Amino acid sequence: MNNEGKGDIPSTGVEPEVKSVSVKKRQSFFGERPLPAIEKAPRVLRYRSRRDFLVFGASTLAALAGAGYLLPQDTLTRLGVLQNMNSPAMEWFLNKALRIDDDVAEALYSVNRRVPTYTKSQITPLKNNYNGATPDPGYIPAWKLTLDGLASGLNISLDIRNLLTRFSVHEQITRLVCVEGWSAIAWWAGLRFDDLLRAYPPMSQAKWARVESSVNLDASGNSDPYFMSLDLATASHPQTLLATHFNGQPLTVDHGAPLRLLVPVKLGLKNVKAVTKLTYVAEEPRDYWAERGYSRYDGI
Amino acid sequence: MSHSTSACKTSTSTLPEQPGVLVVRKHHFLVRWSHWLNVAILLGLILSGISIYWASPVYQHKPDPNTGNFDVAADIGIWICAHVPGQHHYSSPSDWIYNHVSLGPGMLALALRLHWLCAYLFMLNGMVYVAGLVRGGGWRSLLPRWTDLLDALKMFRYYVGFPFAKLARRQWLHPRFNTKYNALQRAAYFSVPVAGFLSVATGWEIHKPMQLHWLAALFGGYNAARVWHFWLMWVYILFVVPHVILVFADGWDTSRSMIVGWSARVGRSEVVGNEQ
Repeated sequence: MNNEGKGDIPSTGVEPEVKSVSVKKRQSFFGERPLPAIEKAPRVLRYRSRRDFLVFGASTLAALAGAGYLLPQDTLTRLGVLQNMNSPAMEWFLNKALRIDDDVAEALYSVNRRVPTYTKSQITPLKNNYNGATPDPGYIPAWKLTLDGLASGLNISLDIRNLLTRFSVHEQITRLVCVEGWSAIAWWAGLRFDDLLRAYPPMSQAKWARVESSVNLDASGNSDPYFMSLDLATASHPQTLLATHFNGQPLTVDHGAPLRLLVPVKLGLKNVKAVTKLTYVAEEPRDYWAERGYSRYDGI
Repeated sequence: MSHSTSACKTSTSTLPEQPGVLVVRKHHFLVRWSHWLNVAILLGLILSGISIYWASPVYQHKPDPNTGNFDVAADIGIWICAHVPGQHHYSSPSDWIYNHVSLGPGMLALALRLHWLCAYLFMLNGMVYVAGLVRGGGWRSLLPRWTDLLDALKMFRYYVGFPFAKLARRQWLHPRFNTKYNALQRAAYFSVPVAGFLSVATGWEIHKPMQLHWLAALFGGYNAARVWHFWLMWVYILFVVPHVILVFADGWDTSRSMIVGWSARVGRSEVVGNEQ
């Protein structure tokens, strides 16, 4: 690809045009060409330089203003900006960007695309992520799964024995990915969400499930209900489980006994532990983490 | 152009005495814009990226029995506060790194939103850059060639010897090349778009590890892709520092050319003609 020396013509400005054309013909497509020289009146050059410097300078100021507008208040405060700069317009703008990203994620999703599965030797430890505030297991004996928004118009309650006897159990070793960046490969077993959807069909206009949990207290024991939105397209994915077993054993309270949602095509925060209620609705329901600035769709 | 009639008259009348200046077209309009936009976008990506890193550091160790700290970046902050003068009274040493080189600790949701916003802009800007390289023909100057191996060594020897030659007041000649960039420049300017491409690829892998799991396989798995993504950031940092120093050392013409597009250094060039 080297053409050094080949196109070595002195650039005096009085070179006959024919010669430069003949040189061009000898050059390979990938060979470096000499920079095109142009003659300009000094006045034109000065005018254009002034224009370019003004335009780029103004753009720099605009970029700084834009950064000040988008940066979190904590960061601005640390930089010495004490005035509250964050506005609803900024929230709107960032949410708009987030929605675009969610739309991309939704476009990437396919109910036919399976997530990778692993062997038992590839299993890695899975932390419970309660950071020491593991819930009291007292809720487990009285636990029931309630279904609402069904086509039948009924309100169904199922206990763990109903679920395990009525539905076939599927096993999978998949990766759970947390929004924080860590992930774990774990061995799960449970019933397919899709089987539940077939046995108890949602009302026809339903597009979403609102998922509720019995994990409803924060680290200091105050009420902090967890609720999550799940689109039914994802719920019907063959690898979306209502898991009852972890590493071959019934779920412990660490991993959401007695039934947790396992949806490997979503971030860990959608994998709700100790699911107590599924409500099928037409409009997108509220989502705990979306209300705290995270995305809504969370497809990975 | 805003020529007044009188100005036109003077320019035509003085043309024989004051011929036009010969300049070379160096950087395409789109290349210049994407270059400066990239400064802001990369800064946003790095600052928000380190805020995201805070939530689950790639480099961890067993928790310290006294402090519970497991993050190597926090260790560095603690070391800085213990050893760097003026930092002894810093209120939260474990957050020092995050408070100084990121948006801040404990703002994962916001950092993610900004990171994705900047990431989409980065991809768009990359396309603008490539369009500028194609339209301006600048891509040919970036292609590596076999002679680069030896020429890069020559340049390396020049840079290493430069300070000693200055101290000894010896003459130290810059190796001569008749290309737009020397071999080291070319290696650097070629690596950065490649790193940009790899950052985007690993970024998508981390963002969509299930739908794009074939990408993860390419980089050695989900966790490996996070490590790639982290070290690719260092490619930009390690590029930018000498880049800025050398551009200033090279003179005003070089910095100006990235704003105005032309350079007055008419070395090996081809006369296209008098434009306007």
